[in-house]
Amino acid sequence: MDTDALIQELANSAAPVQRLPAPRARMLIWLALSAPFLAVIWLVMPSEINPVATIADRRFLIEEAALLVTALTAALAAFGSVVPGYDRRILLIPLLPLAVWLASLGEGCWRNWVALGANGLTLRADWDCLPPAILIGVVPSIAMVVMLRRGAPLLPRISVALGALAVAALANLGLRLFHVGDASVMVLFWHLGGAAVLAGLAALAGRRVLYWRHAAT
Amino acid sequence: MSESTERDQRFALLMRAAQAGDRAAYARLLHELIPLLRRAVHRQRALLKPQDAEDLVQDILLSLHAARRSYDPARPFLPWLMAIVRNRVADGARRYISRSAHEVVVDHLPETFSDADPNTIDGRYGDPEALRLAVKALPDGQRRAIELLKLREMSLKEAAAHSGASIAALKVSVHRGMTALRRMLAGKDA
Repeated sequence: MDTDALIQELANSAAPVQRLPAPRARMLIWLALSAPFLAVIWLVMPSEINPVATIADRRFLIEEAALLVTALTAALAAFGSVVPGYDRRILLIPLLPLAVWLASLGEGCWRNWVALGANGLTLRADWDCLPPAILIGVVPSIAMVVMLRRGAPLLPRISVALGALAVAALANLGLRLFHVGDASVMVLFWHLGGAAVLAGLAALAGRRVLYWRHAAT
Repeated sequence: MSESTERDQRFALLMRAAQAGDRAAYARLLHELIPLLRRAVHRQRALLKPQDAEDLVQDILLSLHAARRSYDPARPFLPWLMAIVRNRVADGARRYISRSAHEVVVDHLPETFSDADPNTIDGRYGDPEALRLAVKALPDGQRRAIELLKLREMSLKEAAAHSGASIAALKVSVHRGMTALRRMLAGKDA
Protein backbone atom coordinates (compact mmCIF):
# COMPACT_ATOMS: atom_id res chain seq x y z
CA MET A 1 0.00 0.00 0.00
CA ASP A 2 1.13 3.52 -0.75
CA THR A 3 2.25 5.41 2.40
CA ASP A 4 0.01 8.40 1.67
CA ALA A 5 -2.97 6.07 1.31
CA LEU A 6 -2.04 4.39 4.59
CA ILE A 7 -1.89 7.77 6.36
CA GLN A 8 -5.31 8.65 5.00
CA GLU A 9 -6.70 5.32 6.16
CA LEU A 10 -5.21 5.72 9.65
CA ALA A 11 -6.49 9.30 9.90
CA ASN A 12 -9.98 8.24 8.80
CA SER A 13 -10.08 5.51 11.42
CA ALA A 14 -8.70 7.69 14.22
CA ALA A 15 -11.48 7.78 16.79
CA PRO A 16 -10.84 9.71 20.02
CA VAL A 17 -8.76 7.68 22.46
CA GLN A 18 -8.63 7.77 26.21
CA ARG A 19 -5.08 8.60 27.26
CA LEU A 20 -3.33 6.14 29.55
CA PRO A 21 -2.86 7.58 33.03
CA ALA A 22 0.75 7.97 34.22
CA PRO A 23 2.43 4.69 35.34
CA ARG A 24 2.22 5.77 39.00
CA ALA A 25 -1.54 6.29 38.71
CA ARG A 26 -1.92 2.96 36.90
CA MET A 27 0.03 1.26 39.70
CA LEU A 28 -2.49 2.62 42.21
CA ILE A 29 -5.41 1.56 40.00
CA TRP A 30 -3.96 -1.97 39.85
CA LEU A 31 -3.59 -2.00 43.64
CA ALA A 32 -7.14 -0.69 44.05
CA LEU A 33 -8.42 -3.52 41.83
CA SER A 34 -6.36 -6.20 43.59
CA ALA A 35 -6.51 -5.17 47.25
CA PRO A 36 -10.28 -5.70 47.80
CA PHE A 37 -9.97 -9.22 46.37
CA LEU A 38 -7.06 -9.91 48.69
CA ALA A 39 -9.09 -8.59 51.63
CA VAL A 40 -12.05 -10.83 50.75
CA ILE A 41 -9.82 -13.91 50.61
CA TRP A 42 -8.18 -12.93 53.87
CA LEU A 43 -11.62 -12.69 55.49
CA VAL A 44 -12.90 -15.94 53.99
CA MET A 45 -9.84 -18.15 54.51
CA PRO A 46 -9.24 -19.51 58.02
CA SER A 47 -6.24 -17.62 59.37
CA GLU A 48 -3.60 -19.33 61.51
CA ILE A 49 -2.08 -16.00 62.44
CA ASN A 50 -2.30 -14.46 65.90
CA PRO A 51 -2.72 -10.72 65.11
CA VAL A 52 -1.22 -9.55 68.44
CA ALA A 53 1.91 -11.65 68.10
CA THR A 54 2.19 -10.70 64.45
CA ILE A 55 2.17 -6.96 65.07
CA ALA A 56 5.05 -7.43 67.51
CA ASP A 57 7.10 -9.51 65.07
CA ARG A 58 9.48 -7.01 63.52
CA ARG A 59 10.92 -9.44 60.99
CA PHE A 60 7.43 -10.35 59.76
CA LEU A 61 6.55 -6.68 59.37
CA ILE A 62 9.77 -6.00 57.44
CA GLU A 63 9.02 -8.95 55.15
CA GLU A 64 5.46 -7.79 54.52
CA ALA A 65 6.56 -4.20 53.90
CA ALA A 66 9.27 -5.38 51.49
CA LEU A 67 6.71 -7.52 49.66
CA LEU A 68 4.25 -4.65 49.37
CA VAL A 69 6.94 -2.29 48.07
CA THR A 70 8.20 -4.99 45.68
CA ALA A 71 4.68 -5.47 44.33
CA LEU A 72 4.15 -1.73 43.88
CA THR A 73 7.53 -0.96 42.33
CA ALA A 74 7.33 -3.98 40.01
CA ALA A 75 3.87 -2.83 38.89
CA LEU A 76 5.20 0.71 38.43
CA ALA A 77 8.12 -0.59 36.36
CA ALA A 78 5.83 -2.84 34.30
CA PHE A 79 3.47 0.05 33.50
CA GLY A 80 6.42 2.35 32.77
CA SER A 81 7.87 -0.21 30.37
CA VAL A 82 4.81 -0.02 28.09
CA VAL A 83 5.12 3.75 27.68
CA PRO A 84 7.47 4.66 24.79
CA GLY A 85 10.25 7.02 25.84
CA TYR A 86 9.75 6.42 29.57
CA ASP A 87 12.96 6.41 31.62
CA ARG A 88 14.25 2.82 31.50
CA ARG A 89 15.98 3.15 34.88
CA ILE A 90 12.54 2.57 36.37
CA LEU A 91 12.95 -1.11 35.47
CA LEU A 92 15.61 -1.49 38.16
CA ILE A 93 13.61 0.00 41.05
CA PRO A 94 11.99 -3.30 42.18
CA LEU A 95 15.44 -4.76 42.82
CA LEU A 96 15.81 -2.69 45.99
CA PRO A 97 12.76 -3.96 47.92
CA LEU A 98 13.39 -7.42 46.50
CA ALA A 99 16.86 -7.29 48.02
CA VAL A 100 15.34 -6.23 51.37
CA TRP A 101 12.95 -9.20 51.26
CA LEU A 102 15.80 -11.54 50.35
CA ALA A 103 17.98 -10.11 53.13
CA SER A 104 15.23 -10.50 55.71
CA LEU A 105 14.71 -14.14 54.67
CA GLY A 106 18.46 -14.74 54.67
CA GLU A 107 18.73 -13.31 58.14
CA GLY A 108 15.86 -15.60 59.24
CA CYS A 109 17.66 -18.62 57.79
CA TRP A 110 20.82 -17.63 59.63
CA ARG A 111 18.95 -17.34 62.95
CA ASN A 112 17.27 -20.72 62.43
CA TRP A 113 20.60 -22.30 61.65
CA VAL A 114 22.20 -20.80 64.76
CA ALA A 115 19.26 -21.89 66.95
CA LEU A 116 18.51 -25.33 65.48
CA GLY A 117 21.51 -26.28 63.39
CA ALA A 118 20.85 -28.24 60.21
CA ASN A 119 17.27 -29.00 61.43
CA GLY A 120 16.46 -25.33 61.10
CA LEU A 121 17.15 -25.46 57.39
CA THR A 122 15.10 -28.53 56.51
CA LEU A 123 12.99 -28.22 53.40
CA ARG A 124 9.69 -30.03 52.99
CA ALA A 125 6.97 -29.85 50.41
CA ASP A 126 4.01 -27.77 51.56
CA TRP A 127 1.45 -28.13 48.80
CA ASP A 128 -1.37 -26.86 51.05
CA CYS A 129 -0.40 -23.28 50.40
CA LEU A 130 -0.38 -23.65 46.60
CA PRO A 131 -4.17 -23.38 45.97
CA PRO A 132 -4.61 -20.21 48.08
CA ALA A 133 -1.48 -18.72 46.46
CA ILE A 134 -2.97 -19.32 43.00
CA LEU A 135 -6.38 -18.05 44.13
CA ILE A 136 -4.90 -14.84 45.51
CA GLY A 137 -3.11 -14.22 42.21
CA VAL A 138 -6.18 -14.52 39.97
CA VAL A 139 -7.55 -10.97 40.04
CA PRO A 140 -4.16 -9.19 40.23
CA SER A 141 -2.94 -11.27 37.24
CA ILE A 142 -5.98 -10.55 35.09
CA ALA A 143 -5.87 -6.86 35.98
CA MET A 144 -2.14 -6.73 35.22
CA VAL A 145 -2.43 -8.40 31.80
CA VAL A 146 -5.41 -6.27 30.74
CA MET A 147 -3.64 -3.09 31.84
CA LEU A 148 -0.32 -3.98 30.22
CA ARG A 149 -2.03 -4.77 26.92
CA ARG A 150 -3.32 -1.20 26.77
CA GLY A 151 0.25 0.07 26.46
CA ALA A 152 2.90 -0.35 23.79
CA PRO A 153 4.61 -3.79 23.74
CA LEU A 154 8.16 -2.46 23.53
CA LEU A 155 9.78 -4.92 25.96
CA PRO A 156 7.22 -7.72 26.14
CA ARG A 157 9.33 -10.20 28.09
CA ILE A 158 10.48 -7.66 30.67
CA SER A 159 7.04 -6.06 31.02
CA VAL A 160 5.32 -9.40 31.60
CA ALA A 161 8.06 -10.64 33.94
CA LEU A 162 7.75 -7.45 36.03
CA GLY A 163 3.97 -7.83 36.03
CA ALA A 164 4.36 -11.42 37.23
CA LEU A 165 6.79 -10.29 39.94
CA ALA A 166 4.24 -7.72 41.12
CA VAL A 167 1.50 -10.38 41.26
CA ALA A 168 3.80 -12.91 42.98
CA ALA A 169 4.87 -10.37 45.60
CA LEU A 170 1.25 -9.43 46.31
CA ALA A 171 0.23 -13.09 46.48
CA ASN A 172 3.09 -13.79 48.90
CA LEU A 173 2.04 -10.84 51.01
CA GLY A 174 -1.52 -12.14 51.13
CA LEU A 175 -0.45 -15.70 51.80
CA ARG A 176 1.69 -14.70 54.77
CA LEU A 177 -1.33 -12.95 56.28
CA PHE A 178 -3.18 -16.19 56.96
CA HIS A 179 -0.53 -18.85 56.60
CA VAL A 180 1.38 -19.54 59.78
CA GLY A 181 5.00 -18.38 59.74
CA ASP A 182 7.18 -21.08 58.19
CA ALA A 183 10.88 -21.43 58.73
CA SER A 184 12.66 -18.79 56.66
CA VAL A 185 14.25 -21.41 54.46
CA MET A 186 10.78 -22.66 53.46
CA VAL A 187 9.68 -19.14 52.58
CA LEU A 188 12.96 -18.52 50.79
CA PHE A 189 12.66 -21.67 48.71
CA TRP A 190 8.93 -21.92 48.04
CA HIS A 191 7.77 -18.31 48.10
CA LEU A 192 10.78 -16.54 46.60
CA GLY A 193 11.53 -19.53 44.36
CA GLY A 194 7.89 -19.58 43.25
CA ALA A 195 8.03 -15.87 42.44
CA ALA A 196 11.24 -16.36 40.45
CA VAL A 197 9.79 -19.31 38.51
CA LEU A 198 6.59 -17.38 37.80
CA ALA A 199 8.52 -14.34 36.58
CA GLY A 200 10.74 -16.58 34.43
CA LEU A 201 7.79 -18.37 32.84
CA ALA A 202 6.05 -15.04 32.30
CA ALA A 203 9.15 -13.73 30.54
CA LEU A 204 9.16 -16.76 28.25
CA ALA A 205 5.50 -16.18 27.39
CA GLY A 206 6.00 -12.40 27.11
CA ARG A 207 5.79 -12.19 23.33
CA ARG A 208 2.57 -14.18 23.27
CA VAL A 209 0.96 -11.90 25.84
CA LEU A 210 2.18 -8.54 24.55
CA TYR A 211 2.67 -7.96 20.85
CA TRP A 212 1.92 -5.41 18.16
CA ARG A 213 -1.40 -6.62 16.84
CA HIS A 214 -0.94 -5.20 13.34
CA ALA A 215 2.41 -7.01 13.02
CA ALA A 216 0.82 -10.31 14.01
CA THR A 217 -1.84 -10.26 11.29
CA MET B 1 13.32 28.57 21.87
CA SER B 2 15.30 26.19 19.62
CA GLU B 3 13.89 24.91 16.35
CA SER B 4 13.79 21.30 17.54
CA THR B 5 11.88 22.25 20.71
CA GLU B 6 9.43 24.24 18.64
CA ARG B 7 8.97 21.31 16.28
CA ASP B 8 8.49 18.92 19.20
CA GLN B 9 5.82 21.18 20.65
CA ARG B 10 4.04 21.37 17.30
CA PHE B 11 4.01 17.57 17.06
CA ALA B 12 2.81 17.32 20.66
CA LEU B 13 -0.08 19.70 19.92
CA LEU B 14 -1.05 17.79 16.79
CA MET B 15 -0.92 14.49 18.69
CA ARG B 16 -3.04 15.90 21.49
CA ALA B 17 -5.62 16.94 18.88
CA ALA B 18 -5.37 13.52 17.22
CA GLN B 19 -6.01 11.81 20.56
CA ALA B 20 -9.16 13.91 20.85
CA GLY B 21 -10.32 12.62 17.44
CA ASP B 22 -9.17 15.47 15.15
CA ARG B 23 -8.52 13.51 11.94
CA ALA B 24 -7.11 16.45 9.97
CA ALA B 25 -4.54 17.13 12.69
CA TYR B 26 -3.65 13.45 12.78
CA ALA B 27 -3.19 13.25 8.99
CA ARG B 28 -1.03 16.40 9.12
CA LEU B 29 1.07 14.99 11.94
CA LEU B 30 1.67 11.70 10.11
CA HIS B 31 2.56 13.51 6.87
CA GLU B 32 5.02 15.74 8.73
CA LEU B 33 6.60 12.73 10.41
CA ILE B 34 7.26 10.81 7.19
CA PRO B 35 10.59 12.50 6.22
CA LEU B 36 11.78 12.13 9.79
CA LEU B 37 10.86 8.44 9.88
CA ARG B 38 12.51 7.77 6.51
CA ARG B 39 15.71 9.42 7.75
CA ALA B 40 15.62 7.44 11.01
CA VAL B 41 15.08 4.14 9.18
CA HIS B 42 17.84 4.95 6.71
CA ARG B 43 20.22 5.85 9.56
CA GLN B 44 19.56 2.60 11.41
CA ARG B 45 19.15 0.22 8.43
CA ALA B 46 21.15 1.89 5.67
CA LEU B 47 21.43 -1.30 3.61
CA LEU B 48 17.70 -1.93 3.30
CA LYS B 49 16.18 -1.93 -0.18
CA PRO B 50 13.95 1.14 -0.73
CA GLN B 51 10.75 -0.95 -0.72
CA ASP B 52 11.73 -2.73 2.53
CA ALA B 53 12.63 0.62 4.11
CA GLU B 54 9.21 2.00 3.12
CA ASP B 55 7.54 -1.10 4.56
CA LEU B 56 9.35 -0.40 7.82
CA VAL B 57 8.18 3.23 7.78
CA GLN B 58 4.60 2.01 7.32
CA ASP B 59 5.07 -0.49 10.15
CA ILE B 60 6.19 2.39 12.38
CA LEU B 61 3.10 4.40 11.40
CA LEU B 62 0.86 1.47 12.30
CA SER B 63 2.65 1.04 15.62
CA LEU B 64 2.37 4.75 16.37
CA HIS B 65 -1.34 4.48 15.61
CA ALA B 66 -1.73 1.46 17.92
CA ALA B 67 0.21 3.14 20.74
CA ARG B 68 -1.21 6.64 20.42
CA ARG B 69 -3.13 6.45 23.67
CA SER B 70 0.18 5.97 25.54
CA TYR B 71 1.42 9.45 24.57
CA ASP B 72 1.22 11.99 27.37
CA PRO B 73 1.11 15.54 25.89
CA ALA B 74 2.87 16.84 28.99
CA ARG B 75 6.00 14.95 27.87
CA PRO B 76 8.16 15.57 24.78
CA PHE B 77 6.86 13.93 21.62
CA LEU B 78 10.07 12.92 19.81
CA PRO B 79 11.52 10.64 22.54
CA TRP B 80 8.13 8.86 22.56
CA LEU B 81 8.21 8.48 18.78
CA MET B 82 11.87 7.43 18.63
CA ALA B 83 11.31 4.69 21.22
CA ILE B 84 8.71 3.22 18.86
CA VAL B 85 11.03 3.65 15.87
CA ARG B 86 13.90 1.83 17.62
CA ASN B 87 11.57 -0.97 18.65
CA ARG B 88 10.12 -1.49 15.18
CA VAL B 89 13.53 -1.25 13.47
CA ALA B 90 14.99 -3.83 15.89
CA ASP B 91 11.95 -6.07 15.40
CA GLY B 92 12.28 -5.72 11.62
CA ALA B 93 15.93 -6.76 11.83
CA ARG B 94 15.00 -9.72 14.05
CA ARG B 95 12.32 -10.83 11.58
CA TYR B 96 14.78 -10.46 8.71
CA ILE B 97 17.40 -12.59 10.48
CA SER B 98 14.89 -15.28 11.41
CA ARG B 99 13.56 -15.35 7.82
CA SER B 100 17.07 -15.53 6.38
CA ALA B 101 17.93 -18.42 8.70
CA HIS B 102 15.23 -20.49 7.02
CA GLU B 103 16.20 -19.59 3.48
CA VAL B 104 18.65 -21.63 1.42
CA VAL B 105 20.35 -19.93 -1.50
CA VAL B 106 20.99 -22.29 -4.36
CA ASP B 107 22.40 -21.66 -7.83
CA HIS B 108 20.14 -24.16 -9.55
CA LEU B 109 16.81 -25.31 -8.27
CA PRO B 110 16.92 -29.10 -8.14
CA GLU B 111 14.57 -30.96 -10.39
CA THR B 112 12.11 -32.76 -8.20
CA PHE B 113 10.41 -35.00 -10.73
CA SER B 114 11.12 -35.71 -14.34
CA ASP B 115 7.54 -34.83 -15.17
CA ALA B 116 7.15 -31.37 -16.68
CA ASP B 117 4.39 -30.08 -14.39
CA PRO B 118 6.29 -29.88 -11.08
CA ASN B 119 9.22 -28.11 -12.74
CA THR B 120 7.48 -25.06 -14.09
CA ILE B 121 9.50 -22.71 -11.88
CA ASP B 122 8.76 -19.68 -13.96
CA GLY B 123 5.11 -20.52 -14.26
CA ARG B 124 2.83 -17.69 -13.17
CA TYR B 125 -0.86 -17.33 -12.98
CA GLY B 126 -1.76 -15.28 -15.97
CA ASP B 127 -4.80 -13.76 -14.34
CA PRO B 128 -4.27 -12.40 -10.80
CA GLU B 129 -7.92 -11.37 -10.64
CA ALA B 130 -9.01 -14.95 -11.31
CA LEU B 131 -6.68 -16.11 -8.52
CA ARG B 132 -8.08 -13.51 -6.14
CA LEU B 133 -11.64 -14.58 -6.92
CA ALA B 134 -10.72 -18.25 -6.60
CA VAL B 135 -9.17 -17.62 -3.15
CA LYS B 136 -12.28 -15.67 -2.16
CA ALA B 137 -14.49 -18.56 -3.22
CA LEU B 138 -12.73 -21.03 -0.92
CA PRO B 139 -14.41 -22.16 2.32
CA ASP B 140 -13.44 -19.98 5.32
CA GLY B 141 -10.91 -22.38 6.88
CA GLN B 142 -9.10 -23.06 3.61
CA ARG B 143 -9.06 -19.37 2.65
CA ARG B 144 -7.63 -18.43 6.02
CA ALA B 145 -4.93 -21.11 5.75
CA ILE B 146 -3.98 -19.99 2.23
CA GLU B 147 -3.87 -16.34 3.30
CA LEU B 148 -1.67 -16.98 6.32
CA LEU B 149 0.68 -19.61 4.91
CA LYS B 150 0.90 -18.72 1.22
CA LEU B 151 0.11 -15.03 0.93
CA ARG B 152 1.55 -13.75 4.21
CA GLU B 153 4.21 -16.45 4.20
CA MET B 154 3.86 -17.25 7.89
CA SER B 155 5.37 -20.43 9.26
CA LEU B 156 2.94 -23.16 10.38
CA LYS B 157 3.73 -22.30 13.98
CA GLU B 158 3.04 -18.59 13.49
CA ALA B 159 -0.14 -19.29 11.55
CA ALA B 160 -1.35 -21.68 14.26
CA ALA B 161 -0.68 -19.09 16.96
CA HIS B 162 -2.42 -16.43 14.91
CA SER B 163 -5.50 -18.39 13.87
CA GLY B 164 -5.93 -20.60 16.91
CA ALA B 165 -6.13 -23.67 14.63
CA SER B 166 -3.81 -26.63 15.18
CA ILE B 167 -0.80 -27.17 12.90
CA ALA B 168 -2.32 -30.42 11.63
CA ALA B 169 -5.62 -28.67 10.78
CA LEU B 170 -3.73 -25.91 8.97
CA LYS B 171 -1.75 -28.45 6.93
CA VAL B 172 -4.96 -30.18 5.88
CA SER B 173 -6.70 -26.87 5.09
CA VAL B 174 -3.84 -25.50 3.01
CA HIS B 175 -3.51 -28.76 1.10
CA ARG B 176 -7.22 -28.86 0.35
CA GLY B 177 -7.21 -25.16 -0.48
CA MET B 178 -4.33 -25.53 -2.95
CA THR B 179 -6.00 -28.53 -4.58
CA ALA B 180 -9.26 -26.60 -4.90
CA LEU B 181 -7.44 -23.56 -6.32
CA ARG B 182 -5.62 -25.68 -8.90
CA ARG B 183 -8.94 -27.25 -9.89
CA MET B 184 -10.71 -23.89 -10.12
CA LEU B 185 -7.93 -22.21 -12.09
CA ALA B 186 -7.45 -25.18 -14.38
CA GLY B 187 -11.20 -25.07 -15.07
CA LYS B 188 -10.84 -21.40 -15.94
CA ASP B 189 -7.92 -21.96 -18.30
CA ALA B 190 -9.65 -24.81 -20.09
